[in-house]
Amino acid sequence: MKRLSLMALVLILSLTAVFAGGQKEPSAADGELSGEITFWHSFTQGKRMEAIQDAANEFMAMHPGVKINIETMAWGDFNTKWNAGLTTGDLPDMSTAQNTGEVAEMLNVEVLRPADGVIDAIGRERFAENALADMTQDGNVYGIPYYSHAQVMWYREDLLANAGLDVPQTWDEFRDAAIALTKDGIYGAAVSFSPNDLLGTRYLNYYVRSAGESLLNDDLTANLTSDAAIEGIKFWVDIYKNCSPAETINYTVNDHATLYYQGITAFDFNSGFMIDGVRANRPDILDTVSCAPLPKINESDPYYSAEATQIPIVIWENSKHPEICEAFIEYLFQEDNYVDFLSAVPVGMLPAISGISDLEAYKSNPTVQQFAEEEKIIAEAVAAGRAIGFEHGPSAQAGLLANQGVIEEMFQDIIMNNTPVEEAAAAAEAELNEIFETMVM
Amino acid sequence: MISLRKGRTSIQGSSLTRWIFVAPAMLVVICLLIYPLLSTALYSFTNKTMIRKSFSFVGFENYIRILTDPDFWTSFGHSLVWTIFSVIGQVIIGFIGALCLNRIKSPAARSIFRIAAIIPWAFPSIATAMTWKWLFNGIYGFVPEMLQKFGLTDGLIQFFSDPSLVLPALIFINIWFGAPLILVNVYAALQTIPQDQYEAAQIDGASSLQSFRHITLPHIRTVVGLLVVLRTVWVFNNFDLIYMITGGGPAGASSTMPIYIYDTGWTGRLVGRASAASILLLLFLVILCVLYFKVISKWEKEDVK
Amino acid sequence: MSLKKRFTPGTCFSYVYLTIIAVVAVFPLLWLLVSAFKSSGEMLANPTTILPKEWTLENFKTVLFTLKFTVNIKNSLIVALVTTVIATFISSLAAYGIIRFFPRLGNIMTKILITTYMFPSIMLVIPYAVVMNSLHLTNTRGGLVLVYMSFSVPYAVWMLVGFFKTVPIGIEEAARIDGANRFQVFTRVVIPLVRPGIVSTAIYVFINAWNEFLYALLLVSSSAKTTLSVAVKTLEGADILNWGSMMAASAIVVLPSIIFFILIQNKIAGGLTDGAVK
Repeated sequence: MKRLSLMALVLILSLTAVFAGGQKEPSAADGELSGEITFWHSFTQGKRMEAIQDAANEFMAMHPGVKINIETMAWGDFNTKWNAGLTTGDLPDMSTAQNTGEVAEMLNVEVLRPADGVIDAIGRERFAENALADMTQDGNVYGIPYYSHAQVMWYREDLLANAGLDVPQTWDEFRDAAIALTKDGIYGAAVSFSPNDLLGTRYLNYYVRSAGESLLNDDLTANLTSDAAIEGIKFWVDIYKNCSPAETINYTVNDHATLYYQGITAFDFNSGFMIDGVRANRPDILDTVSCAPLPKINESDPYYSAEATQIPIVIWENSKHPEICEAFIEYLFQEDNYVDFLSAVPVGMLPAISGISDLEAYKSNPTVQQFAEEEKIIAEAVAAGRAIGFEHGPSAQAGLLANQGVIEEMFQDIIMNNTPVEEAAAAAEAELNEIFETMVM
Repeated sequence: MISLRKGRTSIQGSSLTRWIFVAPAMLVVICLLIYPLLSTALYSFTNKTMIRKSFSFVGFENYIRILTDPDFWTSFGHSLVWTIFSVIGQVIIGFIGALCLNRIKSPAARSIFRIAAIIPWAFPSIATAMTWKWLFNGIYGFVPEMLQKFGLTDGLIQFFSDPSLVLPALIFINIWFGAPLILVNVYAALQTIPQDQYEAAQIDGASSLQSFRHITLPHIRTVVGLLVVLRTVWVFNNFDLIYMITGGGPAGASSTMPIYIYDTGWTGRLVGRASAASILLLLFLVILCVLYFKVISKWEKEDVK
Repeated sequence: MSLKKRFTPGTCFSYVYLTIIAVVAVFPLLWLLVSAFKSSGEMLANPTTILPKEWTLENFKTVLFTLKFTVNIKNSLIVALVTTVIATFISSLAAYGIIRFFPRLGNIMTKILITTYMFPSIMLVIPYAVVMNSLHLTNTRGGLVLVYMSFSVPYAVWMLVGFFKTVPIGIEEAARIDGANRFQVFTRVVIPLVRPGIVSTAIYVFINAWNEFLYALLLVSSSAKTTLSVAVKTLEGADILNWGSMMAASAIVVLPSIIFFILIQNKIAGGLTDGAVK
C-alpha cells in the first residue's frame, strides 16, 4: 500500500502545485482602489510589453490593493480570442483593440462600457476629433485612442536614385517604377492576400479611396463592383503579376512587411513600424528608407488619406472594477509613462493626444529626429484619415469587411483560377452581404 | 488479445474494487469526451454563432448547407489526398528504413541511425512549420535556391504559392515528420521475430523474399496495421501543421477538413455549421476505423492459430 | 564473420538508404541551430550562407532574458510532467482493470477508447473552453492538464493494455495467496513487471503534451502561463518579425526533446507497439 499512497501523494502535490496561485481575493478595501483586473493587449514585442508591465508594476506599488494581470496575445489571435470569449465567458476587464473597426464589432455585441470618464480626465480636447468620433455610439465614447498611425507609401531612396526615378505621385507612376525596379533579386512591390489577414482589403481600399469611393455603400452593404473597385482589383492583380514575388499571394501582414525589412522589396505600404522593422533586420539600409503620401489616380487629384488607425484601449462591460481600469488608463497616459511607451516603436506609434510631440523627452529620441520628415507625412495622414470603411461613420460592417478574409479570397481566386474580375467581385460582394446579415445585430 | 480470454480466473475482483481501477479513466472519457460530443451534436442542429447567446433549432439545415458547399467537398478531397499520401509515404519509407536498420550489424551505426531518424519527432508543429516555411520559401528559401543552382528548376520553385505544389509540399513535410516513428516502431517489432525461424527457413532452402513473405510479414503486420490506424486518425485530424504553414491557402488549395471547420467556426463564427462539419468528419473516421479494425482482428485471429 | 559477408549488396543499400533518411531527418535541425547562431543581418543575406561567419549568442539571450522564455519553459515542463504523471497513473490502473476484471468487456472498452482518440481537437476546443470557464479553470495550468487528459488517457490506456496482457496471471495468484490485497498485487507485483511499458507510455504522453499547440493557444491567454509552443507562435505574430529570435526560440523548443531522446533512446525504440507484439 505504501507505494500507492506515495503515488497518491505525488498526485496531490502536483495538483496543488498546478492549481495554486489561482484565486486570491483582495484584502478589505480602505477607501482606496482594491481588486483584481485583467488586461489583454497585443503588444507582444519586448519594449512595448515591458513599458506596460513596468507601468502596471508601479501602479500596483502605489495601490497595494490592486492586482493587474496582463495577458498578451499575438495580433492574429486577438480577434479570435475575444470572439471565443463571448461564448466561453473568458473576457478581460480592459483590453486594447486592433483598430476602431474592432471597437465597432465589440459595440455590435454590446460588450463595452463608455469611457467618457477617462477621456475627460485625460482631456477630451487633447484627442483628435475624428479619432473619438470613430468610437462614439449614441453620444458615448467607447474607446480611448492609445496611439495612432496611418498608411503611407514606403520606398528605397537608393534604388530609386540608381534607376533615375522620382518618387511616384500617381498609381501609374508607381506601377512603372515598381516594374522598373523588379530585377536582380529585388521585387518592385509585394502584394499579399492571405485570407487570415487584411492586406487585400487594405490595398483595395487605398485605390478605391484615391478615387473618392468607398468599399461600403451608404446603407452599409459591401461595394466591390463600383468602377473604382473593379479598376482597383485589376490594378493590384496586375502589380502582383508583374512585380511581386509569387509566394506573397498567401502572405500575412508580418510575412509581407518582412520582405521590405529585408530589403527584398523596393516599395511597400505601411505605417511607421517600417523603421523599426528595417532596423531589426537590415540596419545597413536604414538610411535609405523613406516614405511619401499614397499615390493618387491623377496628379491633380486632391490629397487624401486612405487609412488611419487609432489603437484604442477599451473597458469591458462585465468588468467588476471599472474604476481600477479607468485609474490605470489615466496612469498610462501620464507624460512619463506615455512617452516611455511611444518610444518603444518611435515614429511607428504616434501620440494620440496633443502636447506630447513637443515634449523634450519625445523629441530627443534619435529615431524621431532622424525620421522627422517621415513622421510629418504620417501625422498628416493620421489627421486626414479614418479606419477602413468608416466613411459612413463607425459600423460593425467595416470591421467585418476587413477580418473575414472575403476580399483576400476573391483576389486569390482571380489569380489562381483566372476567374473574371467582375464575376469574382460580385460573388465576394454577395458573400460579404450575407455575413453582414448574419453577424450584425 | 490472447490472454483476454484466459482472464476469467480466481483473480477477478469483487465488484467494487474492480470498478475503482477503471473509474478514473472512465470519468475522463465521460467528462472530457462524451460531453463535448453531445454538445457538438446538439449545436450541429442549431444556428448558434460564437457572438450570440441565443440560438434556435434549424433541423438539418447546417448539414444541407455543408453537403451542398463545394468548398466542403474540396476540403474533403484534400483531406483524403493529404491522409492517404502522408500515411502511405510514412509507412513505405519507415518500413524500408526498419528493414535496412535490421540488416545493419554494427551497434554503433544502428544507434546513430536510430537517433537521427527519430529527430523529426522532437519537433513540435510550430518548430516544424517555421523551419520548413523558411527552407521552402519561394523568395529566399534554401531548397528552391539549391534546386535552381543545380539547374533542376528554371526559376525559384514555388512550393507554397503554386496550387499544384502546395499539397505535395505539405505531404512531404508530414512524411518527414511521421516516417521516423514508423521506422522505429517497425524496427522494434522486427527484433521480436525469433532468429531460429529464419535459420530454419534457410535450411529449407527458402529465398529471402520467401522468408520475408512467410515469416517477417505475418509477424509484424498487426503492428503495422495498428500504426496505420493511429497515423490515419492523427493525420486526418491534424490541424496545426497546415494552419501554421499555409492556413489552407492559396485559394483553398491546401484546405483540409479541420481547416474548413476552423474557418467556419472560428473565423466565420458559425458554431452550428462548424459543429455539423465536425460530426461529419467524426462519422467518416469512425466508419474508416471500424473497417481497419475488422482487418486487424482478422489478422490477430490468424496469428493465434 | 568475414568482411565479404558483412558488405553484401543488401547491407550496402541499407547504409545508403539510412544515410539519406538520416540526412533529410537531421538537416532541418542543423539548419535551425546554425541559423540561431547567426546575426540578424547575416541570416537574410543573399546568397544564403550555410555556416555563420560570426557565431553569436545574441538571439538566445534575447529569447531567454528579454522575451522571458524561461517562464514558458517552466510552464511547458510543469504541464507536460503533471500530465504525464497523472495520465500514466490513471491509465495503468485502467489498463490493468480492463485486463483482469473485465475480460469480456475489455475489448469493447479499448475500442471505445480508441474512438475517443478520433475526436478532432478543433471540435473539442469550444466545448472545453465553455467548461473550463465555468469551472474557473481558464488560464490555469491545471485546466490545461485536465484537457490534456482527453488525448493522453485513451492513448495511454490503449498502449498499456498491450503491456499488461503480458503479465502471467499465475504470479498474481501466488501473491494473493501470500495475503497481499488487490492493490498490493498491483503495485508490488504487476507494476514492476511492466515497468518498461509504463516508461515508454509515459514518454509518448510527455512528448504529445510538450508539443501540444491548439488547446494551449485558445485556453490560456495569460502570458505568465503560456506554454513554449504558443510563445514561439506569438513571436511569429509580433509586429516586427525577427527570424533570429524565432530560430533561437524554435531551437529551445526542440532541443530538450532531442536530448531526452538521446538519453532514453533504447526505451522509445519499442514504445508504441511492444505490447501489441508480445
